[in-house]
Amino acid sequence: MSELLRCVGLERSFGELKAVQGVSLSVDVGETYGLLGPNGAGKTTCISMIAGLLEPDAGTVTVAGQRMGPRASAAKSEVGLVPQELAIYPDLSARENLDFFARLYGLVSGRRKQRVDEVLEVIGLTDRAGDRAGTYSGGMKRRLNIGIGMLHEPRLLILDEPTVGVDPQSRNAILESVETLATDGMGVLYTTHYMEEAERLCDRIGIIDQGTLVAEGSRRDLVGMIGEQDVVRLKTVGDVAAAEAACAVVDGVTSTDVEQDTVVCLVDEAAPRLPALLAAVGTTDADVSGVEVREPDLEDVFLHLTGKALRD
Amino acid sequence: MLRAATVILRKDLRLRLRDRSVLLFAFVVPLALTFVFSQLFPTQEDFELTAGVVDLDGGEVAAGFTDGVVPALVADGLVDATTFGDEAAARAALEDGEIAAAWILPPGLSDGVAAGDGGDILVLVNPDRALSVEVARGIAEGYRAELDRISLVVATTATAAQGALSTQQLEEIAGLAAAQAPTVTTTELIAADQQLDPTSYLAAGMAVFFLFFTVTFGITGFLEERQQGTLHRLLAAPIGIGTVHLGKAMGAFVLGIVSMTVLAIASATLLGASWGDPVGVAVLIVAGVISALGVMAFVGSFARTAEQAGNLQSIVALVFGLAGGVFFPVGAGFLGQLALFSPHGWFLRGLGDLVGSDHWTVVLPAAGALVAFGVVFAVPGALRMRRATA
Repeated sequence: MSELLRCVGLERSFGELKAVQGVSLSVDVGETYGLLGPNGAGKTTCISMIAGLLEPDAGTVTVAGQRMGPRASAAKSEVGLVPQELAIYPDLSARENLDFFARLYGLVSGRRKQRVDEVLEVIGLTDRAGDRAGTYSGGMKRRLNIGIGMLHEPRLLILDEPTVGVDPQSRNAILESVETLATDGMGVLYTTHYMEEAERLCDRIGIIDQGTLVAEGSRRDLVGMIGEQDVVRLKTVGDVAAAEAACAVVDGVTSTDVEQDTVVCLVDEAAPRLPALLAAVGTTDADVSGVEVREPDLEDVFLHLTGKALRD
Repeated sequence: MLRAATVILRKDLRLRLRDRSVLLFAFVVPLALTFVFSQLFPTQEDFELTAGVVDLDGGEVAAGFTDGVVPALVADGLVDATTFGDEAAARAALEDGEIAAAWILPPGLSDGVAAGDGGDILVLVNPDRALSVEVARGIAEGYRAELDRISLVVATTATAAQGALSTQQLEEIAGLAAAQAPTVTTTELIAADQQLDPTSYLAAGMAVFFLFFTVTFGITGFLEERQQGTLHRLLAAPIGIGTVHLGKAMGAFVLGIVSMTVLAIASATLLGASWGDPVGVAVLIVAGVISALGVMAFVGSFARTAEQAGNLQSIVALVFGLAGGVFFPVGAGFLGQLALFSPHGWFLRGLGDLVGSDHWTVVLPAAGALVAFGVVFAVPGALRMRRATA
């Protein structure tokens, strides 16, 4: 596959804060690349540099062979951006919103009307096309937000956490739309902190934490980084923090975390370690009320790589 | 760049036309206020000053005022005069509200003028009747200038006669000079140092005052784009930040021009205002809009949100408007000098010059000052906004 996006050594600071440090990644034509990381990891800063909104302090971004930057009109024409926050005009209708951005991207009259109609159909807003966007539900606004990004048929579509705050039904519709775009040959760069979205959509995933890309590969590659480890989840009653501390020192446990009342342990092999884990919790003021053993997922990979959970 | 800026302009105008507040600020409120104020402040035709006259001098010079100036003003329908025997009677009438002002011609007035020392008239006023006070003072001031002239005539004559004239003869000369003195004209009294009639002055004042609010929609529009996230989307398109600024400025410029033009035409046709030569008015309107854009862009560059910008811009528009005399003529004194530091003052001065002249080019100095205001403020404003967006 040919390379559509190439980022080399991206760096960007805001005052003393180093938001992005040496990020390099690439996206091929027709590939969906997921940038996975918790809030504040540097995903949006990366996206801003890739979309030409921010000039990197160091490093380069190339889209379809053209250098990207705030004044790079040709490169910007190849990119569609769906910002994390809604970026629509609430006092304009869906059709007017789309028509405005179509004009801004230079779509000529006949083609413009055709594309507006097509996108309205794709995002399911044809029936409400003439209503003010401010009267739409949250999910409809999100769909319009995405529709504007794909309007000019960019070769690379960047979606920055497009499902934040969206109801399950709309979320599923958005994910299906992204899957369709990728099969149509568009390159997609998708940022999220929802592990299940990355697992469902992405051909390759980059895990970013504190501005650094800590790992990259397919889901299988990333999970393989953990080795033959298992995840043991101990649901507890009582002092869950003490239970986690006790589990952390058990032989074969490589990392631990707490999710509400559950201690999550990454262990070399679950079966021989389980009695020791239960015994360790028994020495504390907590009791085990349930046990689950499963294979690791991206959440566990993140825990393994960064020592913390992938969530807000 | 121009194509994309025009696309932004069209979108902004569409949004603004749906936003009723713009229509209110740009058209309805200034026209309504002009109408209301023009009813509150009488024009020269329907104004009448009820004034008292107290002649404590009894000489020829005082007679020049009581028998010359006052009857002429009464004949013009500007003054309704009552003669009082002493100052106390005039004060009582003033306190009772029977008169709005009184002129006291002090004892020795004629002697002072005959001696070449000039003279003055005491004016008693009711401060609650502002326009009457101004007119009464204006009449007294006008006659005082005449007394100075008469004193000069007498002093010159006495010097030429080398002491051959008696005091009585000098008084007669002063009386003759007073009788020949031109009457104080009502144009000088009401219009002070500008030639716009009150309705035209109010219409122009309100138009330029609200112009500074109308153009703020361009500046706050930029901040609104930032607040609602659409600025990122605009900047992700194949355009630069300069195009966005240009589109916003063009929107504000068009709104300003349309607003001023509509107000000029509407005030002329509905309220009888006279703005002067259309070419000169057009030049002043364009220059006025440029100045408003520059000033408001600069002020807006200090704000982080549209609300902040709106508040700051309102304060500045109000201060400049008051300093420029949009609500009342500022005359030629300190307030007149202060008005030169306000684009509003230059706009009104330009219109005043235009009405008093046969050629539109008289507005060029005022138009130049307005453009200079715009440029001086716009350059640092644009730099600040550019830095804030980077």
